[in-house]
Amino acid sequence: MPAIYTPEWYESVKEAINAKVATVKDVPEGAWTVAVEIAGDGVSPYVADGDERRFLIRIERGQCEWYREIDGEPDVELDYRFRGPATVFDEIAAGLADPIDAALHGTVRVRGDMRFLMRQAELVQVLLEAYTAGVETTWPEGQPPYSADQGPSGPLSGEREALSA
Amino acid sequence: MATPTYDAIVIGAGHNGLCLAAYLQRSGLRTLIVERRHEEGGGANTEEPVLAGYRHNMHAQYMEFFDVMPMIQDFGLEDLGLRTVMPEAQAGITFADGRPPVVLHRPDLLEATYTSIARYSKADAELYVELKQRAMKLEELLAVGLYNPPGAVPNAGSPEGVAMMLEGVFGDLGVAGHFVAKSPKMVIDELFETPELRALLYRTCVEWGFPIDSTGTGGAFFTFIMWTMANWKLAIGGTHTLAKAMTQACYREGVDLLENSQVERIIVEDGRAVGVVARGTEYRAERAVASNADLRQTLLDLVGADHLSPLWVKRAKAYRYGPSHVLGTPMFCLYEAPAYRSAKWDPDIDRCFYTMVGFDGPDDTARYIRDAYSGTLPKPAAGTWVNSLWDRSQAPPDRHAATGWYFLPCASELTAAEWEDVRRTYNERFLATWREFAPNMTADNVIAHKLYTPDQMERKNLMREGDFSNGEFAPDQMGPNRPFPEASNYRTEVEGLYLCGPSAYPGGGVHAACGYNAFKAIAEDLGLPSPIPADRSY
Amino acid sequence: MRERYDAIIIGAGHNGLTLGAYLARSGLDVVVLERRHEEGGGLCTEEITRPGFLHNLHANYHTFVDMAPPVADLDVRGHGVEYVRPEVQMASIFDDGTALTVHTDLDKTCESVARFSEEDAETFRRLYGEAHGFVDLLLGTLMYQPPLSVKELTKALATFGVEDKSEFLSVKLRRETINQFLDQHFTHPKVKAHLAFHGAVCSYTNDVPGLAIGFPLLVGKIDNWHLCLGGSHRLAHALWRDLAQHGGVMISDAEVERILVDGNGSTRRAVGVRLADGTEIEATQLVASTVSVEQTFLEFVDASVTGEDFAHKVKTEVKHKDWSLFSVHLAMNRLPEYEAAAFDPDVNRAWVVNLGYGSPEDLNADWADVRAGRLPDPRPNAAVNSLYDPTDAPEGCFTGLLRQFAPFALADGGEGAWDDLGRWYGHKCIEAWRSFAPNLTDDAFLEWSVFTPHDIATKLPNMVRGDWMMGEISLDNMLDERPLPELGQYRTPVNRLYMAGSTQHPHGFITFGPGYNALQVIAEDLGLERWWRKI
Ligand SMILES: Cc1cc2nc3c(=O)[nH]c(=O)nc-3n(C[C@H](O)[C@H](O)[C@H](O)COP(=O)(O)OP(=O)(O)OC[C@H]3O[C@@H](n4cnc5c(N)ncnc54)[C@H](O)[C@@H]3O)c2cc1C
Ligand SMILES: Cc1cc2nc3c(=O)[nH]c(=O)nc-3n(C[C@H](O)[C@H](O)[C@H](O)COP(=O)(O)OP(=O)(O)OC[C@H]3O[C@@H](n4cnc5c(N)ncnc54)[C@H](O)[C@@H]3O)c2cc1C
Repeated sequence: MPAIYTPEWYESVKEAINAKVATVKDVPEGAWTVAVEIAGDGVSPYVADGDERRFLIRIERGQCEWYREIDGEPDVELDYRFRGPATVFDEIAAGLADPIDAALHGTVRVRGDMRFLMRQAELVQVLLEAYTAGVETTWPEGQPPYSADQGPSGPLSGEREALSA
Repeated sequence: MATPTYDAIVIGAGHNGLCLAAYLQRSGLRTLIVERRHEEGGGANTEEPVLAGYRHNMHAQYMEFFDVMPMIQDFGLEDLGLRTVMPEAQAGITFADGRPPVVLHRPDLLEATYTSIARYSKADAELYVELKQRAMKLEELLAVGLYNPPGAVPNAGSPEGVAMMLEGVFGDLGVAGHFVAKSPKMVIDELFETPELRALLYRTCVEWGFPIDSTGTGGAFFTFIMWTMANWKLAIGGTHTLAKAMTQACYREGVDLLENSQVERIIVEDGRAVGVVARGTEYRAERAVASNADLRQTLLDLVGADHLSPLWVKRAKAYRYGPSHVLGTPMFCLYEAPAYRSAKWDPDIDRCFYTMVGFDGPDDTARYIRDAYSGTLPKPAAGTWVNSLWDRSQAPPDRHAATGWYFLPCASELTAAEWEDVRRTYNERFLATWREFAPNMTADNVIAHKLYTPDQMERKNLMREGDFSNGEFAPDQMGPNRPFPEASNYRTEVEGLYLCGPSAYPGGGVHAACGYNAFKAIAEDLGLPSPIPADRSY
Repeated sequence: MRERYDAIIIGAGHNGLTLGAYLARSGLDVVVLERRHEEGGGLCTEEITRPGFLHNLHANYHTFVDMAPPVADLDVRGHGVEYVRPEVQMASIFDDGTALTVHTDLDKTCESVARFSEEDAETFRRLYGEAHGFVDLLLGTLMYQPPLSVKELTKALATFGVEDKSEFLSVKLRRETINQFLDQHFTHPKVKAHLAFHGAVCSYTNDVPGLAIGFPLLVGKIDNWHLCLGGSHRLAHALWRDLAQHGGVMISDAEVERILVDGNGSTRRAVGVRLADGTEIEATQLVASTVSVEQTFLEFVDASVTGEDFAHKVKTEVKHKDWSLFSVHLAMNRLPEYEAAAFDPDVNRAWVVNLGYGSPEDLNADWADVRAGRLPDPRPNAAVNSLYDPTDAPEGCFTGLLRQFAPFALADGGEGAWDDLGRWYGHKCIEAWRSFAPNLTDDAFLEWSVFTPHDIATKLPNMVRGDWMMGEISLDNMLDERPLPELGQYRTPVNRLYMAGSTQHPHGFITFGPGYNALQVIAEDLGLERWWRKI
């Protein structure tokens, strides 16, 4: 069982995604590069407060071609960018928070061609499921929810708002 | 925030300011225009202030300099939206008793003009046509005079220059230098016998800021007045289209334009103008500041007496505004264009670009002008336009937009309450007169109307006293004496500060010569590369 | 004027200028042709009362500032536009002297609502929070994208399983009126009246079934009303300047009369336009129209080109709003002092004040009148921009605006009747205002002018029947159904002829949406690089 945000973990996510997508019919042609930006929020032990963990995922015909962590701004042209507080991302990875919900409420900000995402709702759903529940993850520094009063709608929301502002 | 810094700052986006800014930027100076209004153009202005869809030129109406205005050519203003029409019948006078009108046609239709004047006098018709033909040949010469600083070329506005022109061009007609010393009225009376024609010419002279009784400006009748007379264009869409095209040229050159920002102060450091303060913010100008605002505002309010020598303060205080060049603009929304009694003689009077209404003859016209000059409200009479006759965009379908000019006293001659009263009542009085001349101008034909008065002009554009020339046209304030001898040539005693508005030579009017010549002065002082074509003599 | 450009855009409203500026920045040789002597269309500021009083004859409230991508892409602020977001955004004053105020500070708004109902205040806070979260996504998914179809949207929402995630997403809203939504969520009639009014003034008429779906966006940006300093027209200048700085040209007084089409059948293609004065201008790449569907397809292009069926549809199926706006523009020498200030002093600082609607039923009653061509007893909304704009009036004076819902055509006398009734109705509006602010005696007004629904259509013939949204706001005139399914994606039956004005999704208002979205489609067709995409 890989630990969160380790190379093994990313690899497992990739495999989970690809296994899932293989079962989907009518996967759209084309390739997309997606940046994920996980912002340290002082609660998640996996990203230092004020720091950011960023990685790129390349999807081609629905399959994850590659992923890599990056420092600073991505040097490739992006199709999408997802950005949000680390706690929320941790909760999503742990299957505790619903990514759609987070996007709906603006906790995770999505940029890119939303029309396409809506049109490909099925595929997106599959990708998200693979991400949220496809990998059994270990949490060496502690597992979300981080404390009883810090659930998704707990006192973090202020910070979240700041981040998504 | 760092202080915004430019090479040059122009105060005021009147057409002169716009012209100057475009040339400055093109010659490499990063230029900012600071304008207090929300619209560019100053007196080059067209609005719909009465009813939606009815356009009125609230200030300048006829465009007489488009054929020579350098900026039109240099910046391709015709590709940027400037288009014109030149109505065939240009200037006319009509009469309540239905006697024949006098209609002056445009310069290429002088036979028609001849026919019209000849109804009264063949001799006058011949003379007018002869003078007009000769005056038209002065175009290049006048352009050279206008678009060069005064004194730079011998013919520019100086009495000697005018005398030379008269001798050269009109000498064989017996028009000699002595006319220079006369007043326009004396000249007109001497030349023409027809009272109806005299009345028309008086009024036109006055519009050009040559008070009919002012001696020393008679020469200008032959040159300037006869050249501009009935040589007028209408800017399609309204005069503001010129300002729009100029603004667009500025944008394309990269000029910055700040609106809604009245300049409160010109920053003077060590005797040098280095920037302006507008709406509390400082803007620096590293090389030049130029003002399109009037003289007194520029020197006394914006620079301040502290930074001026006693002589300059005295001169600025002594500078006179009005009473010539003070107009009120009535605006009418109509079902039908006026149909004049006089049209039975000559239907062109109903399709005349500019029609004088309310005068019976020269004495009447002279009295009217003198009344206005003396601060008395004259009996209502007007020069009128129905621009929608030529440009359908100026009124809704099947409707007409008419605008006029009244001669009115200077803004300060009447109290605020009196001006209120003028606005409330004067148009109605004029309409009663108008009906006598054109019976269809009944109350039913007038959908709505409004009067825009000199006190409002003063407020709208900071045209002091409502004087559109920013200073009286009198020999001591004209030509190389404008605004006063020490300040001619667009330069001021504050280093780096220039004048580019009508307080500078040649004065009011939509010719952009003040801005253009100010550019020449600045370019010379700063050693700028000239974007002006070398093969043009102006 | 030059004879040939890459792109011709018809209409220099904010949509035409926006599209033009993007295309110019993309390297195209662009001309924007405008019928009036001024650019801006609805961005129109004129001194119709007295010199120095700047009146916004059309758009006064800019509610998509910083939400619309063009504001940043075209460097609108760099071109001199200054926006103010008034602290007290809006107030409703009721007949009994009480008042409700909306602030940029949510807590203050909730406090104000709580004076009527604590419960409603809580609900408002919750809905506001939720809506706010959505706004971003809504803008990105719906406003600033060529539209998805209702079917696509429904399917996506179902796939994501979000219908129960928020009541805002519930399919039920598509059947409901804003009134119904308010009844389900709020208790106090005055709170409901305020929100219903807010919907209506944003053109989401409170009694029209289906318009409840617009409510989240309305609530989410209820406090995002911005005032453009020096008048709305400054935004037009900024867009024009951006266009011109990038080599484009705007030509005013250039009324388009025909669109020139070459070829026939599926190869027919727009190749230029002819102006009312006969001038022909060629377009090598595209023609985009931002004016009405009727002008474009009944006047500019022959039915024989687009097909009789299509022309018939344009004649019979294009829908317009069933109400318009009547305005009174005032030059004032004092600010209104409302009696309701005794209840809530902030009403005197509120940018917009709605007068007299005590419940949604009051509004409904007015709709009944307006739809029948009758003039309701005025319950105008009043704005004094000078409260927040030091440049829009002479010193010591103030610029005022009253707006009143009104029919375009009167049952008695049609739209022409406005010419006679305008002044009289203006008086009534002023009297209504005075009944809430008694210090506004006759001598408070130096001068005032009216601007009737008929005037709207005279000034901007693209606003057919004074329809300031350029197309009805209703569920079946939204998204890719707006204005007709054949035109829903900005393309038209003629190749290289695009629709890019408010007739298109999303709708009227200063949204920049139609122009921006048409750009996406044009970029696709022309293979332009999308430099404006910022991800
Ligand atoms: C009723 C009337 C009729 C006319 N008819 C004709 C005609 O038919 N033909 C013709 O050729 N001419 C005509 N004129 C004259 C012509 O309109 C003016 O002479 C001309 O417009 C002056 O141009 P300008 O650019 O120098 O100055 P203006 O047009 O006066 O522009 C000055 C600009 O500076 C701005 N400004 C002033 N002070 C400040 C400050 N402190 N800070 C920032 N900005 C400032 C003003 O707001 C204005 O925009 C007429 C004028 C009037 C009033
Ligand atoms: C009274 C009133 C109040 C409003 N208040 C608000 C408000 O507060 N907030 C808000 O956001 N919105 C408001 N609106 C709505 C807003 O003004 C419009 O929805 C918006 O301006 C539409 O923008 P547009 O660019 O699509 O069209 P427009 O702005 O209408 O531009 C279209 C342009 O095309 C031109 N045109 C027409 N025919 C031709 C032709 N044949 N050839 C060439 N050009 C042509 C027109 O002159 C116009 O300039 C209001 C509207 C009105 C009438």
